[in-house]
Amino acid sequence: MAAVYKSLSKTNGHKEEGPANGVKKNKQRVLILSSRGITYRHRHLLNDLASLLPHSRKDAKLDTKSKLYQLNELAELYNCNNVFFFEARKGKDLYLWISKAPNGPTVKMHMQNCTSFHSHTSQKQPLTQNPVHTMEELHFTGNCLKGSRPILSFDASFDKEPHLRVLKELFLHIFGVPKGARKAKPFIDHVMGFTLADGKIWIRNYQINETEPSKSTAVSSDAEPKPKPSKSSNSKETEISLVEIGPRFVLTPIVIQEGSFGGPILYENKEFVSPNQVRSEIRQKKAGRYNARAEQGIERLAKKGDLGLRTSGGRKAPVNELDTAMLFA
Amino acid sequence: MVTKSKLKMALAADKGVDFKKLALKKKEKVAKKSKSKKGGDQPKANGKKVEDGWEDVEEESDAGEEAKEAAELIEDESGSDEEEEGVDKPMEIDFAGIDESDSDSSAGENDQENDSEDEEDEEDIPMSDLEDLDDEEREDIIPHQRLTINNTVALTAALKRIALPVSKMSFSEHQSITTSTPVSIPDVSDDLNRELAFYAQSLSAAQEARKLLKAEGIPFTRPTDYFAEMVKADEHMAKIKAKLIDEAAGKKASAEARKQRDLKKFGKQVQVAKLQERDKERKQTLDKIKVLKRKRQGADTEATNEADMFDVALEDETSKPSRKDRQGPNKRAKKDEKFGHGGKKRFKKSGDAMSSGDLSGFSSKKMKGGAKQRPGKARRAGKR
Repeated sequence: MAAVYKSLSKTNGHKEEGPANGVKKNKQRVLILSSRGITYRHRHLLNDLASLLPHSRKDAKLDTKSKLYQLNELAELYNCNNVFFFEARKGKDLYLWISKAPNGPTVKMHMQNCTSFHSHTSQKQPLTQNPVHTMEELHFTGNCLKGSRPILSFDASFDKEPHLRVLKELFLHIFGVPKGARKAKPFIDHVMGFTLADGKIWIRNYQINETEPSKSTAVSSDAEPKPKPSKSSNSKETEISLVEIGPRFVLTPIVIQEGSFGGPILYENKEFVSPNQVRSEIRQKKAGRYNARAEQGIERLAKKGDLGLRTSGGRKAPVNELDTAMLFA
Repeated sequence: MVTKSKLKMALAADKGVDFKKLALKKKEKVAKKSKSKKGGDQPKANGKKVEDGWEDVEEESDAGEEAKEAAELIEDESGSDEEEEGVDKPMEIDFAGIDESDSDSSAGENDQENDSEDEEDEEDIPMSDLEDLDDEEREDIIPHQRLTINNTVALTAALKRIALPVSKMSFSEHQSITTSTPVSIPDVSDDLNRELAFYAQSLSAAQEARKLLKAEGIPFTRPTDYFAEMVKADEHMAKIKAKLIDEAAGKKASAEARKQRDLKKFGKQVQVAKLQERDKERKQTLDKIKVLKRKRQGADTEATNEADMFDVALEDETSKPSRKDRQGPNKRAKKDEKFGHGGKKRFKKSGDAMSSGDLSGFSSKKMKGGAKQRPGKARRAGKR
């Protein structure tokens, strides 16, 4: 009887929910997984992100790197409509695939972190060598509820170009926790920033720290010649400051496909230089140094030979009549 | 074609659309559509078929439109003609663009053809043409590995497909805020300013979001008595705290050490200066004493002119004897004179050439009986 009632009430509930909202509900579920061969840093980052996204489902590492379309089936299996996939290459490069599961689009991005925040480690390094920062790192002092819904802060330049708009939409789906998410917590205590700079997307995660408007600031504002009128109106409002929680990372979009892990390519970033190429160029430059030196040596020999300064080979110096060897032979 | 509006015609003319070609394509398209409808009765069930469809599209490269329609077909099988028309219409204008970008994607390697077609493609020069450049010149080149693919129409279509109706939803549904003006970061490698820009962006978003959420009556601030699992566990936070404390302590210790070092360096200087000053003072006082002595001995010989007199008066005034002064160096000097100070003490009392040559205590008068004879014993006794 109870079961019948339950089923009845459930269906009723469903029916009510549908028309009541009118518009489509924001329903997102994210499948989070990685390929084989990720480093511990990548794994930590993945765990951090999974802990920040209560609407996510973490799965075991995917065995294949070539048959990514298998991810679609996996997503269907777990009722996920988003896929968030870390692909590690060569045990150092990390690529992030983001996809809307059944029909796409899919974005492939290169994940890296350019510079660290600490000034004492700010010696410039090539981009590829910089690791990803995870929450484990101890200079992020912020903290937030596990599963609280973030505020997503987008840079206005995301609306400028169609491929960026697609990216923004995908970020909105994946990093935005939908309202009724099962494990979501009721309060809002962190904000995620997505900024476009230098053709890359920089992602930061901050805790919202609310403090009572302290007396010292009040005094200072009094001391200032122009006290703000708005301040007095909502004097009860607490002041907001941000503390970074981490993780932080930088994404370089590489390619956008129409389907989910397949389909024609809609966008390709021509400015992206793969880390492999960067490395190979560095190597070649190093090899080039030796080659240049060897070449120089050969040239010098040839030059000496031309001047007749070598005992064997090259041009012989013309015999001088007045040479001592000729005179006293 | 004639039914098109003037604006559309102008646009098409601008893009250089060949209407005859278009008409031909349309025919082709219609034929394809019928074919795909025949073939793709159940495209959802038959994944392989769909894939074939994609490949077809790529091969034929000139019919970019086809991809859209296939996608449309897959998405909703109902696919009424009206909808398809709706999709078609805005795209007609952009035929040129579509064709080129699609040929990009399909052609891939044979770049030379595409170069002249698109504005953006004109910038792209294949690397193979640049082989014979100097090394120095080559350094200035920003190497682009590939030619541009940016299929705007398809991208917007994809976006439309997945986009949430953000404008219709309440803010608490999506909680996303876009800045009013793009964040500009002049130098990405400038850590501090870059992070500041990010911070400012997020901060403004947080403030705005709080306003909006409060307006909607959504709880924002976490009450202090609400405890729940945090993203970072307590032990992790303890670690962070310990590290912070460590860092602060280290900083303090190093500052202290530096201060001490500086003090040490400075302290030596101070000591030397003090010793020098003391020396100077002693010299001055000794000088003063000498002058005073001289004055006492020959007061009238020298202190005749006014300045000297004045000087004396002044010196008397200044050397008004404090108790310490009176006793101090003067006494010592006296004592030193009497008992000797410093120097070798040995053989001090033994005679030497000087003392033996010193005849000051010798008098011939005394020797020659100049001195009175001592009276005899009886006389001396009788005197008493």
